[in-house]
Amino acid sequence: MKLSYLWLLIIALGFSFSVSAQDELSSERKQAVDSLALEKVRDLSKYISIIGSKETPWSEANRVIDRAEELFMTDSEIGVSSLNNPDKINYYNIRKYFERLMRLNYKKVEIEWYNIEYMSDLQKQPDGTYVGVITIFQKFKGYDAEGRLVYQDTTKKDITVYVKRKETQIGGRLIGFWDVLLGDMRVKETTK
Amino acid sequence: MKLMIKSAPKLMMFILAAIIITSSTTSCKSKKKLAREKAAAEYAMKVDQAKKDLTAMLNGTTPWSLDEQDKRLEVIKSYNIDDPAVVDLISQVASKLSIDRAEAERLAEEERLRLIEEEKLKAAASKYQGIDDQLGAIATAQSVDGANSQINITLQQFATPDIPVLIIISKAGGYNDYDRPTTISKFLNYLKDKQSYQYKVEAVKRDGLGKITELELIKK
Repeated sequence: MKLSYLWLLIIALGFSFSVSAQDELSSERKQAVDSLALEKVRDLSKYISIIGSKETPWSEANRVIDRAEELFMTDSEIGVSSLNNPDKINYYNIRKYFERLMRLNYKKVEIEWYNIEYMSDLQKQPDGTYVGVITIFQKFKGYDAEGRLVYQDTTKKDITVYVKRKETQIGGRLIGFWDVLLGDMRVKETTK
Repeated sequence: MKLMIKSAPKLMMFILAAIIITSSTTSCKSKKKLAREKAAAEYAMKVDQAKKDLTAMLNGTTPWSLDEQDKRLEVIKSYNIDDPAVVDLISQVASKLSIDRAEAERLAEEERLRLIEEEKLKAAASKYQGIDDQLGAIATAQSVDGANSQINITLQQFATPDIPVLIIISKAGGYNDYDRPTTISKFLNYLKDKQSYQYKVEAVKRDGLGKITELELIKK
């Protein structure tokens, strides 16, 4: 009887070691997770440019809004600034931000993100979630019907990134995956 | 005087016999000595050559293969040289050759496994090249309509639009780290939006009708 308890203990210890070994990240695995989080921000960049473009069909833009929304944690907000009202930064929930972006009152919109990089690296929190901040620069250009550039600005934004290891069953297999979710996107500065 | 003249031939014969006997004894003795000296010299040469060969084998400075070194060691052992230095060298070389042999076998096994893995990868690469090409074609389509058309063609190979797509982001440390699983429909549209295909098909599961029921990709 005592022996079977001992075996149970050994198996439990072995299992817990295996689970914790998968959660502990080597530098190579950490690099892959870092890249994954950056890739999600680049995906968002692409989605924003598609949603904002006046050439995107309405149905496509709505489909992309759904995909873009999936990148974020619920209740996240995105900050919007304008050179016309520099002291005011409006924060919108994700869906509202994208719908507003789709309906911007320009004939043509160009949105480009660049210098996408970590401002603070992913750090492991007590609950096992890795949290970091990625900075991006967004160049916005709005044109009127005559093709004239009527508004442009460059905004520096900080995006909080949350990465957590999760598990799911697929085809009878337990798959351990890294769930990357974006949090609030805060405006840091807006310039012409 | 007469007596002396009479016995002179006998005396001569005696002296001659004595000379022959003496010289032949001396000659026999010197031949043996020469043979001994020759044998000793040959033995010394063997010992010297054995020491040189064993030292070269121990230091790994010989151009001989492992088999040739084994043969040479056996030959040296067969000499039964009782020189303590040679005996010690034989023991050291035997031990070294044993380690070298094990290492060579390990390397040969590694190479064999590497070649098998390479063959597998080649087979897998060509096996899934068609799917990779189709996914790449969606990403590089010239228009949204063109991409949508490619998506519809590609979806016909899948059992449903909701079949899971697993994306490996890292295989480091013996663990497969995945991105959040998605569906084939979402993934194909993602390729259309991203306009780039940076993956490679790693594994495919099919149903009885040959339709894909699970797609596993690896990020390049």
